[in-house]
Amino acid sequence: MFSRPIKLTLGTWTLTAALTLLSACSSPSTISVSGSSTVLPVVSRAAQAYSDTTGQRIIVNSGGSGVGFNQLAESKSDIGMMSRDITDKEKAQYPDSQFTPVAIGIDAVIPVVSSEIYEAGVTALSLADIAAVYKGEVDNWSTFGGPDKEILVIDKEASRGTRHTFMKAVMGSSTAKAAGADLVLGANNEEQTAMAQSDAAIGMISLAWMNDDVRGLSIKDGASLIDPNLKTIADGNYPIARELIIVIRDDISSEAQKFVDYILSPEGQTFVETSGYIKINP
Amino acid sequence: MNQISLNPRLRTDITFPKWNGLKSYAVGSALFSSTIIMLILGTLLIQSHPALFANDLNLLSEVWDPAGGQYGIIPMIFGTLIIMSIAMIIALPLGVLSAIYIAETRSDRLKHILKSSLEVLAGIPSIVYGLIGVAYLSIWVAEGFELQTGRVILTAGLLLALMILPTIMTLSEDAISSVPRAYRENAASLGLYHYEIIKDIVLPAAKADIAGAALLALGRALGETMAVMLVIGSLDRLPSPLFNVLASSQTITSKLGREIAESAFGSTHFSVLVLMSLILVAFTLILTIAAQKLFTKDPHNA
Repeated sequence: MFSRPIKLTLGTWTLTAALTLLSACSSPSTISVSGSSTVLPVVSRAAQAYSDTTGQRIIVNSGGSGVGFNQLAESKSDIGMMSRDITDKEKAQYPDSQFTPVAIGIDAVIPVVSSEIYEAGVTALSLADIAAVYKGEVDNWSTFGGPDKEILVIDKEASRGTRHTFMKAVMGSSTAKAAGADLVLGANNEEQTAMAQSDAAIGMISLAWMNDDVRGLSIKDGASLIDPNLKTIADGNYPIARELIIVIRDDISSEAQKFVDYILSPEGQTFVETSGYIKINP
Repeated sequence: MNQISLNPRLRTDITFPKWNGLKSYAVGSALFSSTIIMLILGTLLIQSHPALFANDLNLLSEVWDPAGGQYGIIPMIFGTLIIMSIAMIIALPLGVLSAIYIAETRSDRLKHILKSSLEVLAGIPSIVYGLIGVAYLSIWVAEGFELQTGRVILTAGLLLALMILPTIMTLSEDAISSVPRAYRENAASLGLYHYEIIKDIVLPAAKADIAGAALLALGRALGETMAVMLVIGSLDRLPSPLFNVLASSQTITSKLGREIAESAFGSTHFSVLVLMSLILVAFTLILTIAAQKLFTKDPHNA
């Protein structure tokens, strides 16, 4: 029992040394992108096509808008993906760097409910209704004409761009606290799983992530209803919309700049559409 | 940590071959590892310094709201302790009893098969356990207790128990098997029943090593991040009522897992997160020291 770990240690050392060498060799030509899981589908599709034609290595990681900004600011990545604006607090933490946000598409955050609730008749809520749920003032679907079930309120990690956009439109402040929350989750796919597993959940999800188990609500505005679809978002009627942003530092490498230009080109913009969002240059 | 699991019988003097290269390599490695521990502790202390000496952070409150300057860490500490307790309460008796069963009643061949499969179990990456937790365990808990969501304290505790069980079983089995045959033969010749030999001879002799196994498992339970993060619900709130294990919660590790990357290096937010990891390290240190004092005071009389 005590002789085995020594061999293991030697093996680990060799492996670590080999990995360090490997990563040292590959790093200069690789473009590293990280951040919002909302922007990720667009950039990873574009990165795939771009590296197929040019041979450029691009690594795209998720992590959320906050992570995307921090890694960029600390030079751990070349491009940050964000689904919200850079906050003043974030800018103040890195006074020596200049950051340029580049909008690459438009998205909406959709209040979504479990399919059981949608099929039971709750297909539209007003922003005030949704706010009441997140504040914990309403805790049963029967209030909105649904089944007599407690509402499972799903909130998101505080740094998520999706949350900032949603809370700004619904509660009036992007950092509003949600006293009624039952769960706090991270990326869109994690939220999608939890929504699908529950039969009484409400959550917030990016347009591209809706499916048969996770149904988007229409927004009640007085007597009229605004459906969540590409048309209402593109013409600016849908109230919870935002720009998808990639952020770069002013000392961006020429390889990374070329990739940014590619995303904004007509060919690159097609990936915005295939990902379920709206082009920035229609 | 290995030191406390050393049984006096195992602590034979290691004689190095007369090759100085190997000796200095061994000494160098030992120094290197202890330097790393010092570096980690030092870094944690330096980085958590701003949080410790800042005013108005309300560290001992129940409210976590970095945007509003509120950094209450009580819910995270409570979550860590309660989940660790659930895991240990379930896994320790189960693990030790299974170890006795395997070590004392099974043939060598079956023992070998059981041991190998346990060691594989202990080596499965935690994210795999986490996915099993999200896909099955949390659903079963939600259905079994008619909850809205299965991402609760109990699920995390059960999952952790499952994860540390192989560690406890395989190390306790080692401990029990390594009690010298002569002890058992002497006891048997005095006319003791098999269960008496186990209860009065084997277990007391293996006590220190079993405690070591439990401690190693506890260390894993305290430090487990990914699996817990996926099934805990990540709600920075004390359960209500306090010992309601069917409520969502947050542990120190799941908090760090979700937030450390998004907090700017050097910010108050970052510093408080580091402070929480310092508390976690302190837990482990206290447990290690306590176990050393408790179980290795007089090994010949254990």
